[in-house]
Amino acid sequence: MPEKGKPKPKPGVCIPWEQKAKELARISGDEQLVRKVWEDIDALAYAYIWQCLLSF
Amino acid sequence: MAEDMEQRYAERLSRYVTAMRNGKPDRIPIRPFVAEFTAKYAGYTCQEVAHDYEKAFAAARKCAADFDWDAVVGNMVYVWTGLTQAIGMKYYAVPGIDLPADIGFQYCEPPEEKAFMKPDEYDQLIEDPTGFLFNVWLPRVSTDVGAMGGPTSYRNNLSFLKGGMAMQGYFNAFGKQNELLRSESGTVSAISGILKAPFDILADKLRGYIGLTMDLFERPEKVLAACEALMPHLTHVALSGADPEKNVPIGLWMHRGCVPFVSRKHFENLYWPTLKPIIEEIWSHGHQVLFYAEGNWDAHLESFTELPDASIVYHVDMGDIFHVHKVLGQKFCISGGIPNFLLSYGTEDQVRDCCRKVIAGVARDGGYIMDAGAIIQNDARIENVRAMTEFTREHGVY
Repeated sequence: MPEKGKPKPKPGVCIPWEQKAKELARISGDEQLVRKVWEDIDALAYAYIWQCLLSF
Repeated sequence: MAEDMEQRYAERLSRYVTAMRNGKPDRIPIRPFVAEFTAKYAGYTCQEVAHDYEKAFAAARKCAADFDWDAVVGNMVYVWTGLTQAIGMKYYAVPGIDLPADIGFQYCEPPEEKAFMKPDEYDQLIEDPTGFLFNVWLPRVSTDVGAMGGPTSYRNNLSFLKGGMAMQGYFNAFGKQNELLRSESGTVSAISGILKAPFDILADKLRGYIGLTMDLFERPEKVLAACEALMPHLTHVALSGADPEKNVPIGLWMHRGCVPFVSRKHFENLYWPTLKPIIEEIWSHGHQVLFYAEGNWDAHLESFTELPDASIVYHVDMGDIFHVHKVLGQKFCISGGIPNFLLSYGTEDQVRDCCRKVIAGVARDGGYIMDAGAIIQNDARIENVRAMTEFTREHGVY
């Protein structure tokens, strides 16, 4: 896949975790858990818009 | 699940996959892409199968069982108009609302001056395709979604809420549909996942065909950059819906990227270079792609030979299937080639004669799947679809 034209943000992402993490207070518990769930649900929103384009 | 039905499923899956890998199974798989035809056969209107997907599912299963097909698409009436209406999508004429109830839904491409993406918005799309779709495209194609910067609204919020939950429910329902196809009739779910060429996305949903053809002359570098920006996203979406077992292919719906819709130069410099890497990437993950080449793509067969062996299944609509077989048959399985107009207006004998010629001409060494050229709608005569099926079952044994 060519490097030029690489989009921001990446495929599968609407709001990157790095952006969301800045909004949170210090994560005292399992940060990877919080990140994974954030990214999984964010991916659903991504899927919604791209499926509207492709499948509907 | 009844043991005999599970055995039937296993036989059908083996038959279908063997053919798709360009091998010779026990007999020619029968895999009609039936859309509104299922409504006609099962006694529903086009409105019913477009607006209520459970009826579409039931109609597909009834056809699969009664015709005893090897594989079908779980729901080939691909637009659930119940959802598009709920979120306010403007671009469909809906049966029973905008059209008579017995006419299939139709995509209404806007006039050039009302294209959903303006010619000076390429840079926005290129910079952030997802953001552009959410913030610019969706408000333009929906009556309910508000434009960015404008006031929010009850209808705006409901559009996303309804759309998200309804879409999730619909896609999840395909799991149960696939299980029922398997348990009720041992039928394989024919495809999994969706792909379109970046060029076709621009033409179909963003700039419109006329607008894009103008862009090819007025801003070709932007068209190329936009296609390149779309590539990783379309690859990601295709892979996210792919068959985890890597048996059935991802469906690629090819529209207006071929001669004479565009010039050969535009195909070679724009359409193909921004699609081929996607196919190769998908194949590197172990998934085939069904090249559903709507219309006639015979001018570009040599380009398709650049793809790895067995990486695609090539579907023939209006092309010359015998010429396609000559150019591509050593590398790829071929499907289709039975003209839809024959299924609608021909006689049963004419259908059988066509099947005889296709089977004799392209299927002798395997690597062929019986189907019509395009999705079968409610103008097809039931007896003709039955003739296609029964002839293949009788004469398509290896």
